[in-house]
Amino acid sequence: MTTTVPLAPVRRWIGRTQSSHRERGATAGNIYFAVLFVAVVGGMLHRQVAAVFWPHAPNASRLAGGALALVLFGLLYLALRRFGPLALSRPAASWLLTAPVSRRRLLVPSLRLAAIVAAITGLLFGLAVVGHAAPRTLDGQVVALLGGGAAVLGVALLLVALAAQAGGRWGDALDAVVSLLLAAGLAGLVTAATRDDPVAAGGWPGAGTLVPLVGAVALVVAFFFALAARGLARTPNDRILEAAKTAGTLFDSAFGMEPSFLTDMIERRYWARRRLRSVRWPARVPVLVGQDLLLVARRRRRLLWLALAVALPVLLAPAPAALMAVAVLAGTMLAAATSAGNAKTDAGNPVLQRLLGLTTRQVIQQRLWVPGVLAALWAAAALTLLDTLDALPPGAWWALGLTLGPVGAVAAIRRARVGFVRNELLPLDTPMGTVSTGPLVNAVVGPDALLLGLPALVEIAGGHPLSWTAVLVQAVVGVIGARAYLSWLAGVGPL
Amino acid sequence: MAEDHPAVEVEGLHVGYGSTPVLVDVALTVPAGTGVCVVGENGIGKSTLLRCVSGLQQPDEGTIRVFGGDPGATPEFWRAVVTTVEPPTWYPGLTAREHADLVCRAHGLDPDEAGVDEALDRFGLTGHADAIPPSLSSGQKQRLILAIALLRPSALLILDEPEQRLDREGRQSVAALLADYLSGGGSLLMASHDDAFAAASGAEITTMESLGAAL
Repeated sequence: MTTTVPLAPVRRWIGRTQSSHRERGATAGNIYFAVLFVAVVGGMLHRQVAAVFWPHAPNASRLAGGALALVLFGLLYLALRRFGPLALSRPAASWLLTAPVSRRRLLVPSLRLAAIVAAITGLLFGLAVVGHAAPRTLDGQVVALLGGGAAVLGVALLLVALAAQAGGRWGDALDAVVSLLLAAGLAGLVTAATRDDPVAAGGWPGAGTLVPLVGAVALVVAFFFALAARGLARTPNDRILEAAKTAGTLFDSAFGMEPSFLTDMIERRYWARRRLRSVRWPARVPVLVGQDLLLVARRRRRLLWLALAVALPVLLAPAPAALMAVAVLAGTMLAAATSAGNAKTDAGNPVLQRLLGLTTRQVIQQRLWVPGVLAALWAAAALTLLDTLDALPPGAWWALGLTLGPVGAVAAIRRARVGFVRNELLPLDTPMGTVSTGPLVNAVVGPDALLLGLPALVEIAGGHPLSWTAVLVQAVVGVIGARAYLSWLAGVGPL
Repeated sequence: MAEDHPAVEVEGLHVGYGSTPVLVDVALTVPAGTGVCVVGENGIGKSTLLRCVSGLQQPDEGTIRVFGGDPGATPEFWRAVVTTVEPPTWYPGLTAREHADLVCRAHGLDPDEAGVDEALDRFGLTGHADAIPPSLSSGQKQRLILAIALLRPSALLILDEPEQRLDREGRQSVAALLADYLSGGGSLLMASHDDAFAAASGAEITTMESLGAAL
């Protein structure tokens, strides 16, 4: 192609036309509100934020620090991969990607933005690791160098993710490796929480070693960044379109406060890539239980993550026991939610449920089973692990875990059936500004059913030896709660 | 479902969208065991009528009885009535064939005895049995939902342009299936743009105008 339309005038024209349609001062107003929001929230939460990034005294051992770095940067890489990292806005993807403009010029601003985000995230993550694991005697210059190095590492991860976006199958393999590293990092955190290693070990490099090291790495990354910017035009169209859809959906989700847009899109993409073979239904189990089992069997990797997540409550062992109890209950709900996808489909659009000719009560009665079993097994495993590590007083904690099955199942199914955020609910006027109640109400539907786990929560938080009476009480409360939920559904209406 | 009632009885039906009246004083009766096909140009209110009869849309005025009862209100209604007026959201991670199997088993039928393989074959979907429905073309999705609708037991079919996106052979075979359905004692209410298809299915053709619709 010989005729390339210069891009900059087109972009300027779009910007000018868009702003001419906006109300005068609308942009300034938006900036004002954004700054005000950050200032107000920052003022409210600065202590907590400081505690997360820079606690008063370092509190992580060498192992914990390393594991934390692994987890944070693993998450950064996976997030970059999930969202592109190279994306265009949806209108730009429709109109400019297909226009005869320079591809490199079109994509460079996106790359610049992605690099800034990656660098800032890397810097924050690096500071958090240093804040938790380094002794306070560390030189300010060294801290700055370490932070700078972490920012460079963030950009390096971006470049790898960028190459994976343009490249072939190795990207998927690398994702799997990073997932494993992330899992190893979590395992490291859990191990560190169960041991009494010395906090904030020394041995941090001095400025003399760091300056040449960080400088050299920064040079290398800058070189590859320039190379990547030159090669931007070679990014395949389909990858950019996919990323543009992701970015657009992310925006929709944030703007409409509707996270389900994003999760649904991720789910759709997952199944679009899978190659399935039809199987015969297991004849012995009820048909919808069979369907849930099939779904779980087809997403075995989720089960693996669930099994690993059994160890996460251990991280909270040093925290107040009530917090750990809440974590166990929340985990029980999440475990059940891994197989609540079909209930969500039925609630979103009941056309297939009508074809099945079943009432909502009949459907949910069957759909509670698999989540219930998963939740029971997860809670039993998590509590048994806590018990073995002596984080709990003596008792048959596995039995208490099993009784949490119905609680997790009811919570997960309620969560799956919540539907869209109701933005028509009355907003609340507070001194901090207007709070829309729709998202708040939406967020508590589901977790509210965890109140059925109150007896277990009291037992875990209480610090007394567990009695069989307590197990029995929790079992009865859970079963009665599940039955009450089913009868309530019968009153909601047939379909 | 009482057999002495007509399959569908509509009287004095009024529906409007905003200030635009779509259906004005519409009356329609589908005697049990017979078929009625409503024809008419786009936007005349065929789908609105079918949605009201399926109980998926509340009319402004008028009465609708399906087998003598209110439409859409009970699970018994949905065990007797199959409608394709709304597109389904397919279950995640389930293949086309598994969707058909699921519906059969939910109605207590053995998928093999119900003839899932034959139904997929008849609708030209054998090669796509292992595909997930969202990956099918719009015509294939339409055929899959028709195949499933005809597989499960029912007393009344409410179909919105079932011939849509089907090729000539496909139309002939669907029309033959609908004729079989009627001769087996089922009732049929459908909207269509294809008079030959409607005639071949054995349904009585009636225009929207003759039912009393506003233009």
